Amino acid sequence: MTDPYLQIENLSFSYPAQGEGEAAPVLHGLNLQIERGSFVAVLGRNGSGKSTLAKLLGMILTPTSGKIRMGGKEITDPALTEDELFALRAGVGMVFQNPDNQLVATIVEEDIAFGPENLGLAPEQIRARVDSALDTVGMRAYAKHAPHQLSGGQKQRIAIAGVIAMRPECILFDESTAMLDPTGRAEVMQTVLALNKEGITEIFITHNMNEAVLADRVLVMDEGRIVLDGTPKEVFAQADTLRGCGLGVPQVTELFEVLRQQGLPVGEPVISEEEGAERLYALLNQ
Amino acid sequence: MSTKLEVKNVSYEYSPNTPFAASALTDVSCAFEAGMITGLIGHTGSGKSTLVQMLNGLLRPVSGQILLDGRDIWENPKQLSRVRYRVGLVFQYPEYQLFEETVSADIAYGPKNMGLDGAEIDARVREAAEFVGLEADLLDKSPFELSGGQKRRVAIAGILAMRPEVLVLDEPAAGLDPIGRETIFDAVRAYQQAREATVIIVSHSMEDMAKYAERLVVMSESRVILAGTPDEIFRRADLLCSIGLDVPQITRTMMRLSELGLPCRTDIFTIEAAKEEILRLWGKERENA
Repeated sequence: MTDPYLQIENLSFSYPAQGEGEAAPVLHGLNLQIERGSFVAVLGRNGSGKSTLAKLLGMILTPTSGKIRMGGKEITDPALTEDELFALRAGVGMVFQNPDNQLVATIVEEDIAFGPENLGLAPEQIRARVDSALDTVGMRAYAKHAPHQLSGGQKQRIAIAGVIAMRPECILFDESTAMLDPTGRAEVMQTVLALNKEGITEIFITHNMNEAVLADRVLVMDEGRIVLDGTPKEVFAQADTLRGCGLGVPQVTELFEVLRQQGLPVGEPVISEEEGAERLYALLNQ
Repeated sequence: MSTKLEVKNVSYEYSPNTPFAASALTDVSCAFEAGMITGLIGHTGSGKSTLVQMLNGLLRPVSGQILLDGRDIWENPKQLSRVRYRVGLVFQYPEYQLFEETVSADIAYGPKNMGLDGAEIDARVREAAEFVGLEADLLDKSPFELSGGQKRRVAIAGILAMRPEVLVLDEPAAGLDPIGRETIFDAVRAYQQAREATVIIVSHSMEDMAKYAERLVVMSESRVILAGTPDEIFRRADLLCSIGLDVPQITRTMMRLSELGLPCRTDIFTIEAAKEEILRLWGKERENA
């Protein structure tokens, strides 16, 4: 059943030395394979190497050593020409943290058209792509608005629409919900889940444990290495390792952990409030 | 309990007398108690940041008053800089505002403007660095050599060095990892306790507010719609959700448990309280068995 979209072999990266300082290694011999169409959350404290990984996959940085294959192409091949790199980059979209840093035009639909225009598409094709991208993120009604009239969550959805209009196979989200309020977060997460259903491979960097729970796979990075890799359940069962990496677990997972320490037969770890409530109900209503 | 800072019938409008006029605060009244941590919550665009900028006189109310220790801060506009030393404001992403050559020079900028002498400035820089947990060897580095979390702490230390009586922070932990969040909130609490300061924190994280705030003020559509203890506020889960906010996950879990038909308390918003409640129910279950 394996249909790897992304294969990383022995990937290392160091930022170049500054002044008399030494080169700072950020990633150490990373090996990783990601299935086509999967939704992978990446957790890790500030400085763990998550964003560097995202920039390497988005071809903003080039590795110090190691290989990355994406969609069957080796994106780290030094023989790649500018044109080939350009085409490869179009296949991988990135959505960053601050919506205000990503929107370039003064009208929503023009902002979304920016990418397709650069692909040199015909006007009618651009129109079709913009409309369909707006529909996908549920923002058709705002096509003629100025970005500054939108809420944070709406702006992030426009940033996502701009990426979708490039028809990427993969989208990298780098803390794309960090600046949003609860409604904005919920809007973006709905969009992320809907795109994944349409077959887009998603790599989702976050500090929010409740968002990571929605992924099919969770990677935990620390000091430039992958320290945990599994389903959300498997990963969040490792509460001590997570804490050692400067992370936490969802509140409901923590509740089950303290109840277990108190000697209650609460069973396996839980990660969602729904499951937590059901299990507590069964336990207290025997 | 005494009131340190009071907002009295304050209204504010952006772009007044133009077709783009938009009301940002409508007859807002609320009180911030001396020596307490008050959380200010509300959806994006609810008026939180506008209110925060009123508190140290960056924006002037169209009508109404801001009272610091009972006196209108606009009573004598020439004295406003003194109000700004007393009410310290930490903006969102304050690390973007660092500009000096060394960490210590950046932290010293505020105290220097206050006209303090060298020894006093030095003592305050060290004290502030200690509150936010910056090691002494970082003080001589350039702020741009530090990590994001460290830069954030330098920026906060720059405000603490002015020893404000009221400390206002707009989303101080946004974008930080869980340990980074805890470090920031612990630093704020350490300062509050050491200086008996009044603290106001704007946040979108209900979990953090449940853990650190002693009182909460809830804003929606440019009005204050609720104020009280976290206990009183998180009880109103339906109302909070209807205005685009949320309650902590642990509260949602207890509410779901009650919906399933188990008579349990739902006014719970910390893991500790949930643990006590489950243990109580478990004990009862044991007795009946």
